Amino acid sequence: MKRKNLSFYFRIYCKILAQDLKSKMSYRADFIISTIGMICTNISGFISFWIMFRNFPSIDGWNYYEILFLYGFSLISLTPVQCFFDNNWSLRQNVYTGDFIKYCFRPINLFFYYQSEVFDVKGLGQLAFGIGTLVYAWIKLGLGFSVLMLLKLIIFLLTASLIMIALQNAAAATCFWIQNSFYVLDLAYRFRDYAKYPVTIFSKAFRFIFTFVMPIAFIAYYPSLVILRPDQIPILSWLSPVIGVLFFWISYKIWMYGATRYSGTGS
Amino acid sequence: MNLKKYLTFTRAGIIEALQFRLSFVVMVAGNLLYLIVVYFLWKAIYASSGTDIVNGMTFTDTLIYLVLATALFNFMEMYTVWEMGRNIQSGKIVLDLLKPMEYRNLLFWSYSGGFVTQFLLTFLPTFIAVSIVTHGAIHLGINILYFIISVVMAIVINYNIDFLVGTVCLYTESIWGINIMKQVVVLLLSGATVPIAFFPDTLKTVVYWLPFQSIYNAPLSILLDAEAEPKAVFTTLGIQLVWCIVMTVLSKAFWKTSLRQITVNGG
Repeated sequence: MKRKNLSFYFRIYCKILAQDLKSKMSYRADFIISTIGMICTNISGFISFWIMFRNFPSIDGWNYYEILFLYGFSLISLTPVQCFFDNNWSLRQNVYTGDFIKYCFRPINLFFYYQSEVFDVKGLGQLAFGIGTLVYAWIKLGLGFSVLMLLKLIIFLLTASLIMIALQNAAAATCFWIQNSFYVLDLAYRFRDYAKYPVTIFSKAFRFIFTFVMPIAFIAYYPSLVILRPDQIPILSWLSPVIGVLFFWISYKIWMYGATRYSGTGS
Repeated sequence: MNLKKYLTFTRAGIIEALQFRLSFVVMVAGNLLYLIVVYFLWKAIYASSGTDIVNGMTFTDTLIYLVLATALFNFMEMYTVWEMGRNIQSGKIVLDLLKPMEYRNLLFWSYSGGFVTQFLLTFLPTFIAVSIVTHGAIHLGINILYFIISVVMAIVINYNIDFLVGTVCLYTESIWGINIMKQVVVLLLSGATVPIAFFPDTLKTVVYWLPFQSIYNAPLSILLDAEAEPKAVFTTLGIQLVWCIVMTVLSKAFWKTSLRQITVNGG
């Protein structure tokens, strides 16, 4: 058999992606409404954010534009999970009905094949919204611009996005044990809303939890410090790419372990 | 109306909910974590604002408001839109329409068991926890009675809005998009994410004329305002009653006209 390297998987992904988009396009109304729904979500998130800051000029020493920067950063870093890993939401149904077994019989990586099946176009709207917010905050803060900064930003955004992907993978994988993982997934999903606030608002114990156990602080807070406050970057910020990769790897292992435990429904 | 046939559904619902005990544990734990985040976030916000009272609400008020709003949301969210959407897509709705009970009632009462379990297992514990943590900041008196009446009406309004939106699925065959739009609009404009007291004046006026604030803001403000004049309380309840009637009539009429043009695949 041919060795399955990265380019092989890339070609497969493109093929599956094309099929998925075609099938999505056949439900055009649904597609348009979902996109509008996604835009509504972002606008409403922004409105509640704006309402809060109308009343309170700063949170814990972070001014409006700095928090806005965090907000934009978190929106961008949450895009990959929305776009590429949306099939996690259907995992519990697939496991419950027994459809999951079909993925087990393909001669490619199980995790890859399962996730590649769905590409969520709605996430692109969020990406645009996030970039807009980030650029606006960037200009207002007068951070300046250099190629190095852009490079840093991109690397930190990519690795930050791994955190949410890891959380969602792990949450979805719980369905291999507890059947109905919806509440776990929903919980993980709700936590991303809090990723946009500086972790310093929490007490010591929870700061620890949100840094190491449920690492939502790495979605926006630690990585954006590298750009926002370049003269006092904590060591954790530099470590955030490592932590992103590490958590992703752990979640991948959990997911795969769950999948190997899967015994089908017998039908 | 023969109540007994409806109560059978309630009983079945309770039994069904008790089947998924582990989901329950996860949900309660999840809510707890969520509430902790809310607590620290608003504590930091109030600490940075420099004053104790913002827009007539102290930190304790805001906390109780938001915590109970979340508890109410968990209690009232019936996932009606999902249920209807799924039934429409799968064609199961045809079987339900044939049953000797109006579909609206069928759907409502099949969920009613959830109300009982949710109330006992999430709302009540949250309520007790909050009143202990805030050292009895919730005034226990006649306002509890008004609160209960208000919540019952809120359930009716919420259900009818859900049913109205669910009916739209007959035309669009889109579930996710419709549901997310509804959820976002309801949560923001009902004051569940940010208390309506914080809204800018123009928005406050607009929101006041919409049905959404009757769902979360009305019962919560009745509960929190211990020294409210009876007149103010009855105005709030009156507005809720008007919305109850308007939304029931609207959703009923919309359902009736839509039913004529339903197309269902097989089933």
